[in-house]
Amino acid sequence: MEQKILIVDDEPHIRMLIEQTLEELEDEGVEFLTAENGEIALEIIQEENPQLVFLDVMMPKMNGMEVCRKVKKELALNDVFIVLLTAKGQELDRQKGNEVGADVYMTKPFDPEAILGKAREVLGL
Amino acid sequence: MPRLTLKHILSKKNDTEALMHSLINEMKAHVSITDEKHNYLSGNKEIITQHEHPIKLQEEIIGWVKGDEKSNYVASLLTLLMQKEFERKNLGNEVLTLYQEVNMVFNFSDKLAQAIDPVSIAEITVNEAMHLIRATSGVVVLWDENNKQLQIPATVGEDLFSKKNLASHADVLLKIGLSGQSDIMNDLTALRDAGIIDAKIQTVIYAALKVKHRIMGAIILAGDKPMQYAASDLKFLTTLALQSSSAIESALLYEKNIREALEREEAIRRVYEVTAKFVPYEFIGSLGYKVITDVKLGDQVEKNVTVLFTDIRDYTSLSEQMTPEENFQFVSSYNERMGPIIRKHKGFINQYLGDAIMALFPESAEASLIAAIEMQRNIHAFNALQKTKNLPTIKMGIGMHTGPLIMGITGDKDRLDATTISDTVNTASRIESLTKHYKASILLSEKTLQQIQHPENFHLRYLGKVQVKGRHSSIGIYECFGSDEEEQVIKKDETLALFNEGIHHYLNKSFTGAIKCFLSVTEINTEDSTAQFFLDHSMRCLQKGVPENWSGVVEMINK
Repeated sequence: MEQKILIVDDEPHIRMLIEQTLEELEDEGVEFLTAENGEIALEIIQEENPQLVFLDVMMPKMNGMEVCRKVKKELALNDVFIVLLTAKGQELDRQKGNEVGADVYMTKPFDPEAILGKAREVLGL
Repeated sequence: MPRLTLKHILSKKNDTEALMHSLINEMKAHVSITDEKHNYLSGNKEIITQHEHPIKLQEEIIGWVKGDEKSNYVASLLTLLMQKEFERKNLGNEVLTLYQEVNMVFNFSDKLAQAIDPVSIAEITVNEAMHLIRATSGVVVLWDENNKQLQIPATVGEDLFSKKNLASHADVLLKIGLSGQSDIMNDLTALRDAGIIDAKIQTVIYAALKVKHRIMGAIILAGDKPMQYAASDLKFLTTLALQSSSAIESALLYEKNIREALEREEAIRRVYEVTAKFVPYEFIGSLGYKVITDVKLGDQVEKNVTVLFTDIRDYTSLSEQMTPEENFQFVSSYNERMGPIIRKHKGFINQYLGDAIMALFPESAEASLIAAIEMQRNIHAFNALQKTKNLPTIKMGIGMHTGPLIMGITGDKDRLDATTISDTVNTASRIESLTKHYKASILLSEKTLQQIQHPENFHLRYLGKVQVKGRHSSIGIYECFGSDEEEQVIKKDETLALFNEGIHHYLNKSFTGAIKCFLSVTEINTEDSTAQFFLDHSMRCLQKGVPENWSGVVEMINK
């Protein structure tokens, strides 16, 4: 099955940075999808079934927590691995993240090596 | 350089492919696109090689457009699009590199926040530097302002500098350490000549640690491969140094503050220590305070204590023989002898009144009696010493009384005094002055005696009752002869029963009986001046007679 990664963040430079970090995976056959808000992200997840989603928490319209909750709890899509991204210092989110079913929690600015490592781990590359 | 292939660009569902296809359709061109090895990638599967145009990227051919005469346009478009993609990716990589720096700065800040002492901060800094920049060893050097010397609070890896040579060639290191500059050194001649650096070190990179007002030192790393450090390494190192500098400066300031706070505390402690010598701690404590600064005008407390007075007999005539300076010396050495004895027995000196001392024993009346005996013995020893020097000897009287007493702070708002006010004090003072009257050395009131659990341990004699002029009640007083010379003590013990009988007769107006007893006592003990006193007094009473209401109570008059 084709491997897909969805990158969700309202800031274009963050989307670009994550894509850039994971660039080498593109040569290994991974398709990159992007979304700039929670609503679009939900649509893409349901249509495209990505294996891995990098999900920013702080977004307008629908924040990352809400998206995660819908995916994990309501739609119960257990094959989607969700990495929540939040600004440093918002440690309270970690607790909330657990409640909505996030798989992993990372802070921004993120460590590019950690992002790449996690992607390889989840996709088995 | 980022990997970028034509296949890569064409296979992505992006604008490039869409644009190219719409152009081809619009032009109704018949073209095929191949890679640099002429393998088919996109377009018409039927490859016509009528025209062939290369697609170039950075002077390299990465593919071909083959087909009709319109292949030219397609090739140009693709070349342009490839160039744009290339530039975009380059920019993306640069931003990623910058982002990594941002991440590193954040992480380093987090780590620094965990430490508040300069050594830990230096260690964290040099460890982080070694983590990011390849080096065989690293050190942090700091200039110690107080001791005017260079310190090395942290070093990682093999010793960068040979310590023994460092001492004698510190100036070489100072030049780097306090230069305020950051740089890469590939010419290590100066360091090698001074013998402070190992032969295998080929290059050194350092960044200054400084804050606005001063250069604090530097972080120095060394590598064993020549020219191994680049500008990007220096950028990393200076970023670390910048953060580290302010953290170290804060830590040093913090240490300084703590030091100064401790010094101030010590100074205050010394002041309290000294004030306790002027107003005894026991006084402050009795008022319920721990420190003298809490005391205020009007504070008072009532306590039951034993008051002890000492006095040097006929001091006035003695002092006339001395100069003021000699007087001062005399009284000083007297006080120095008596003070420690009082404190030893848990008493405290309330006041020095010239040649008299007023002491309070809040805990134990017995302790005051023991102190009195020891003080008298001390004076005997003093007198023995005086005799050997042909200097005058002294006689001291001690009186004690127990009762309620008010200790308080009186005065006015700008002049305070620790005062004791009560009848008990007056009575004790008068009892002391009676020592002259009875020719005894230590007198205590019955109130004091009542507080003593084992009076049989002390050599006591009842002397009758005394009364303050104008008052109704009288109190019994006792002589303690325990401090007399050994011979006297033995003799007075022997004659104790007789003496007591004598007193009994005397108080009951049977003066003949009294005379008989006291006579016997004085015959056995010729030096018993108290017995002699009662003998004389009894004889006078017998001769002159006494009033009807005579009860033997002696009136205490003002000194």
